[in-house]
Amino acid sequence: MTGLPKNIPADTHQERAAWRTSRDRVLLYLRGLDLPPFEDLDLAAASLRACGACEEPAAEGLGSPSPAEAMESLFNLLEEQRPEGLLGMRRIPSCPSLNRGVMVAEPMDRVPWKTAFVRWMRRWRRELFAREGAR
Amino acid sequence: MTAFELDWSRSAGRRRLLLIFLVLAPTFIACGTMASILPSRGGSPLEIVLLAVFAVLFAWISVGFWTALMGFFLLLQRRNRYSVSNVCEGLGFSIENPHARTAVLIPIYNEDVKRVFAGLKTVYDSLAATGSLDRFDFFVLSDTTDPDVWVQEEEGWHRFCTEQDAFGRVFYRKRRSNAKRKSGNVADFCRRWGKNYRYMIVFDADSIMAGRTMVRMVQMMEARPDIGILQTPPAGVNRETLLARAQQFANRVYGPMFAAGLHFWQLGDAQYWGHNAIIRVEPFIRHCELPRLPGKGPLGGDILSHDFVESALMRRAGYGVWLAYDLDGSYEETPPTLLDELKRDRRWCQGNLQHLRLIFSRGFFPAHRALFLNGILSYGSALLWLAFLLISSAQAVAEVYLEPVYFLDTKTLFPQWPVWRPHWALALLGSTAVLLFLPKFFSYALALLRDPAARLYGGRLRLACGILLEVALSTLLAPVRMLHHSVFILSTILGKNVGWPTQSRDDRGTPWADAVDVHWWGTILGILWGALVYLTNPSFFWWISPIILSLVLSIPLSVLTSRASLGKAFRRAGFFTTPEETEPPLELRELAKTLQEEAPYSPLPLSPRQGFLRAVTDPCVHALHTSLLLRYKKGAPAREEARQALVEKALRSGPDSLSSKEKMTLLNDPFHLAELHRRVWELEDDKQAARWGLSQPSVD
Repeated sequence: MTGLPKNIPADTHQERAAWRTSRDRVLLYLRGLDLPPFEDLDLAAASLRACGACEEPAAEGLGSPSPAEAMESLFNLLEEQRPEGLLGMRRIPSCPSLNRGVMVAEPMDRVPWKTAFVRWMRRWRRELFAREGAR
Repeated sequence: MTAFELDWSRSAGRRRLLLIFLVLAPTFIACGTMASILPSRGGSPLEIVLLAVFAVLFAWISVGFWTALMGFFLLLQRRNRYSVSNVCEGLGFSIENPHARTAVLIPIYNEDVKRVFAGLKTVYDSLAATGSLDRFDFFVLSDTTDPDVWVQEEEGWHRFCTEQDAFGRVFYRKRRSNAKRKSGNVADFCRRWGKNYRYMIVFDADSIMAGRTMVRMVQMMEARPDIGILQTPPAGVNRETLLARAQQFANRVYGPMFAAGLHFWQLGDAQYWGHNAIIRVEPFIRHCELPRLPGKGPLGGDILSHDFVESALMRRAGYGVWLAYDLDGSYEETPPTLLDELKRDRRWCQGNLQHLRLIFSRGFFPAHRALFLNGILSYGSALLWLAFLLISSAQAVAEVYLEPVYFLDTKTLFPQWPVWRPHWALALLGSTAVLLFLPKFFSYALALLRDPAARLYGGRLRLACGILLEVALSTLLAPVRMLHHSVFILSTILGKNVGWPTQSRDDRGTPWADAVDVHWWGTILGILWGALVYLTNPSFFWWISPIILSLVLSIPLSVLTSRASLGKAFRRAGFFTTPEETEPPLELRELAKTLQEEAPYSPLPLSPRQGFLRAVTDPCVHALHTSLLLRYKKGAPAREEARQALVEKALRSGPDSLSSKEKMTLLNDPFHLAELHRRVWELEDDKQAARWGLSQPSVD
């Protein structure tokens, strides 16, 4: 499944597979960040080195970090370096500054409709026949 | 009150008296004719109920007829002295006063994000072309409850602002609690930033307006400080299903005449339709906050149809509400299918019935009380039609089984013979048909008077055929709508509350299973009703056969009218063509172009619709989301523990194990989301990582 030559020992097979997973994970994260050219590659190399990946794998084994180690190293590096244009390090203002006001409902006849209807009828009758009633 | 206000209010009073007379006089005559047709001349209790229902219905359709006729004559005139657009004569497309700032509000609720920002881009570019963009700010006001859609909205906003360099002009605000729904969303804007603006233009999620139209609206408000709300009549566009295309066509052909007619008798007492309108912010803040209606149940609580009430409150505060019937460049999209339309109507029905609670409130103008009544009758008429048809059927069945009464209680020399006068019945049916269909002929005449070749409608013949087809289609669908509206009213009265379902705004069509689920009982009712009437009184069956046929065919009708393929076939044949299809305005062309654009590049194998996954996994989306969250304070230990448990659950069982509510909880918490993000990227197990879109599971 790994595509490695048959004559390499099993331990090395596993280590190379782990290396590939870690490398791909770090590169995928950096691709997702969409950093300026080469900055992502530099960061990938730096983070993998920082977590103990060996440059001469044939000599003493691959020295491959796990994905967790590699990503932790990358997160630490991003925290330290804070590449320009990277979101997430500051709050983005998506709204203007508040200029608060109040908006309160004006009085409305908030009574059940039957009561409202009766009151409205009385008011209407009063307004319509007020003069006659006064007499 | 200024001389002009006095002038228009007197004219409006006279016009409304004329309308009342024109409605009531024929109604009395029609009721007399109806009574004479009935076997007991309207003497039996059943016939009295029948006559009362008939009177209300006849008056109701008469209002529509006379409104259309008034609109017809108004549009024939070269100049209308009450038209609000008169104040723009000789003006360019600039807004001189730098203080006349306008906020364009786009309230959204689980909408198609791509469409929302494509619409925003269209309006933004159109305004930029007028040179007055600096007088406008845009607010996307989200009430979204779907975690995936929320993240998409943030991405959409950020991308738009980056591409258009619109930071500081286009804003995005997400409300945590969507109290009072759309009206609460707009009120929340007013409380936070309303003081910064003199006007606000309220959109729906699918609204499009031309920049020139928006500038004109501001100019009108500037010239007429007595106006509180100015409504434009939006034209229906962009739909492909058969039903929606027929509605777009009807809206475009008949709409201008009805809008002019409404303007004729409403003048400054017009309605606000909730979108595509400009509002003076200061009086809106002071007078138009909606109260909660007391009591529980569907007629209590938040006011659902807020727009009618807001216009009545604005008018009560002394500001005019006008309809700019002659202003074009305002567009909206209609529901694509019958089921979507009914879903919307369910909400509107409850909202309109709530107005029963407000109709007698102190201080409202009589015109707005009438408009409340009008809204109630929009749905109440369905129940009355159903009652009318059922009582008529009951009368027809009873006629067969009951012995006629030849000698009444009073002593007479001659027996009372039951007399059937078919020509009177036909005359009554004819007059009802005239009221319903003559306005369509007026619209045809109006279209030909403006352009004798009717080129924008595909030619004279196609326009005429389109009208006939639209009449046939709306006649077929009317009984189905009637039945459902009746059920909506009854269920509202019985206390069944309506939720806030998301509106479908695409042309996917109705599956057969969904149609059966909604219409099966209507079909059975139609079959039983038809069979009963046919077996007892076959001659009456033919009078109600159109109703029965429609109910029996409601399932295929619902499915077929929802098909975009059928709509496109009609389009190819040149039917239901609208001017916006023949010569698409620049804004609609731009919208179509923007919608064709591909989704931006992402290295992760996640669809743009997987918003939650992207917020957790995609570093850029995650960073954007956490950056947009308002200042977050850690909560009580118990709450923090519950959230930590959610993180562990997500890592253990994958994103699909989380409910929508749990996803929202995590999205609202930047600390736990950041932890989840970090730990997902540190996952050792390939299969677990693959659930979050990090790698493919290896094949053993």
